[in-house]
Amino acid sequence: MFENIKSLIEETGLRETFSGNNLNLIILCLFGLCILPVITRDMHIIGLITAAMIFIIYASSWNLLAYSGQGSLGHATFWGAAGYVSILLAEAYDLSPWVTILIGALFSAFLGFLIGLTCVRLREWFLAMVTFGFAIIAETLVKIEPISDITRGDFGLWTSHKIASSISLFGFKIPAYITQYYVITIVTIIVLLVIRIIWKSKLGIAFAAIRENELEARTMGINVPKYKLIAFVISTFLAGLAGGLRVHYWRSGYYICPETFHVHYSFLPIIFCVSGGLNTVEGPILGTLVVYLIFEEGLRFIFAGYERFVAVGLLMILIVIFLPKGLVSILRKYIPSGTGVTSVKENERKEGEKRAKEK
Amino acid sequence: MIEVGSLLPVIFWGIYTGCVYILLATGLNLIFGVMKVVNFAHGEVMMIGCYICYWIWVLSGVNPYLAIIPAMITMFFIGILIERATFRAILGVGKLSEIFISLGIIYVLQNVAALLWTSEIKKIISPYEKIIDSFFGASLPRDYTITILVMIAALTMLYLLLWKTRIGMAIRATSQNRDAAMLMGVDVEKIDMISFGLGSALAAVAGGLFALQRMFDPYIGAVPAIKAFAVIILGGLGSIPGAIVGGLLYGLAEALGEHFFGNPWRDATGFAILIIGLILRPEGLFGEKEA
Repeated sequence: MFENIKSLIEETGLRETFSGNNLNLIILCLFGLCILPVITRDMHIIGLITAAMIFIIYASSWNLLAYSGQGSLGHATFWGAAGYVSILLAEAYDLSPWVTILIGALFSAFLGFLIGLTCVRLREWFLAMVTFGFAIIAETLVKIEPISDITRGDFGLWTSHKIASSISLFGFKIPAYITQYYVITIVTIIVLLVIRIIWKSKLGIAFAAIRENELEARTMGINVPKYKLIAFVISTFLAGLAGGLRVHYWRSGYYICPETFHVHYSFLPIIFCVSGGLNTVEGPILGTLVVYLIFEEGLRFIFAGYERFVAVGLLMILIVIFLPKGLVSILRKYIPSGTGVTSVKENERKEGEKRAKEK
Repeated sequence: MIEVGSLLPVIFWGIYTGCVYILLATGLNLIFGVMKVVNFAHGEVMMIGCYICYWIWVLSGVNPYLAIIPAMITMFFIGILIERATFRAILGVGKLSEIFISLGIIYVLQNVAALLWTSEIKKIISPYEKIIDSFFGASLPRDYTITILVMIAALTMLYLLLWKTRIGMAIRATSQNRDAAMLMGVDVEKIDMISFGLGSALAAVAGGLFALQRMFDPYIGAVPAIKAFAVIILGGLGSIPGAIVGGLLYGLAEALGEHFFGNPWRDATGFAILIIGLILRPEGLFGEKEA
């Protein structure tokens, strides 16, 4: 048993991840996240960070899809569908939101499976188009007659079920927004860890191989459609998880409406991933923090209106032109040993170095 | 049995809305043919075209159909500017970069429009709003006829430019084989700018027609652009006749979908057809099968 775990750690490269500079950085980040509510009890700031966490999960789900060489312009389909399922179940059967979020995410993975079945054979542009189409269809479905009786069309749905409510600990009363912050932080860390493990496993190597060269991957005996489908299902599951978490947490007002399927929510994870850096675990984290926190919210105090969106757009254009690997490449300058970049070429280089040493 | 007489207005209406998609898809195809990039921000270019037409119409009070011509010229230069500032830098880098840079342009154009013209809903009111002509017993609003004629005029101009002038020849040569064109002394970067400008000018025509058909605000661009993209996929990437046929089919499908299933199904019907089409023929209706 112990041996198994040890070999798993070895195999998935977790030791490599948690060592040296990386370990220090990760511990620093975790420590910072833990004591944040001690430093400030400002509801707005903590709410923002919690929202950013949910977007990190959402962006990471898109990132996982991109890691296997696929792209989706309609990820809002999955995030919205899971939110609706979760909220409907929680209200109808009075279930715990944890159960309904999980069911919602499974439902979204099931949707992803069905859509993926038709999509994995399509090439990049076509896939992007079709997924976009599904987002429009989903938005239409929740608005039209038979279904809008349940989903209440444009009015949207409210729920009274929260992922965490206020608790009292050692005589201190911890308000709901702080408990929700901790819960969502833990979920985010688990999700990121899972993504990291997937990427370092055989599954991840197959994804990377397909991304780098589909034809070569096929000749190496990788069942391309199967692995693409797996990537699609995992990605949609995570997107569903983010969507479910979102509706049961205070900043969304415990509310969902057809707006959730809007193009904007399909584009957000793409923007976060790209500005942060694709195909790295830390890319979406950095991208979400910079774009979401600084531009969408932080600049609200300086630029009141549409200017901040113009700034986001200009930032995107500048990043694509001047930092093709995203903001992570700035970070890399200061922390050289990468935590997540696992392109096939880099693996090959490492293997080569290892062999050279053995000789 | 469905009565044909009641369907005829629906079909006309489908062709009338299809005009916008045809113009957008043709512009996109022109850009794709030459530069091999897909401009996802094409809808936003169209939206800017809407506003320029609106502006000219409000400020000078000319016939809105005539306002399309100066709007075309303005958008031609704006298109050149966009190409030079953004797409030139990432040419040949990769397909994902195109999507990302388009997203950036979408955000910039949408919000610049919102800053300049506010996000209130606007509409150009046609001078022929209530005039209805009758053709072969079917009554047909005059706007429909003029829209279709404008579309045909724009495409004819494009045809003359592409097939009867030296620049057109250079554009065709570049889209056939970029390297060979370069070797023959064609300044391909100039051709890139011109074809992007032409695509944007066609989008401005689409924008003018759109503004006359429907109400618009800075956020209308995304859906028509993606529909135009669907049209391209149906008609085959890079094929202009395909774009025309695909645009007509798509407009008809939407109109019929709305007629039979009700208003909310408008957008969804078109996409459902696209998805079914792609499942049956993953390379598009007129597209060539890639190895």
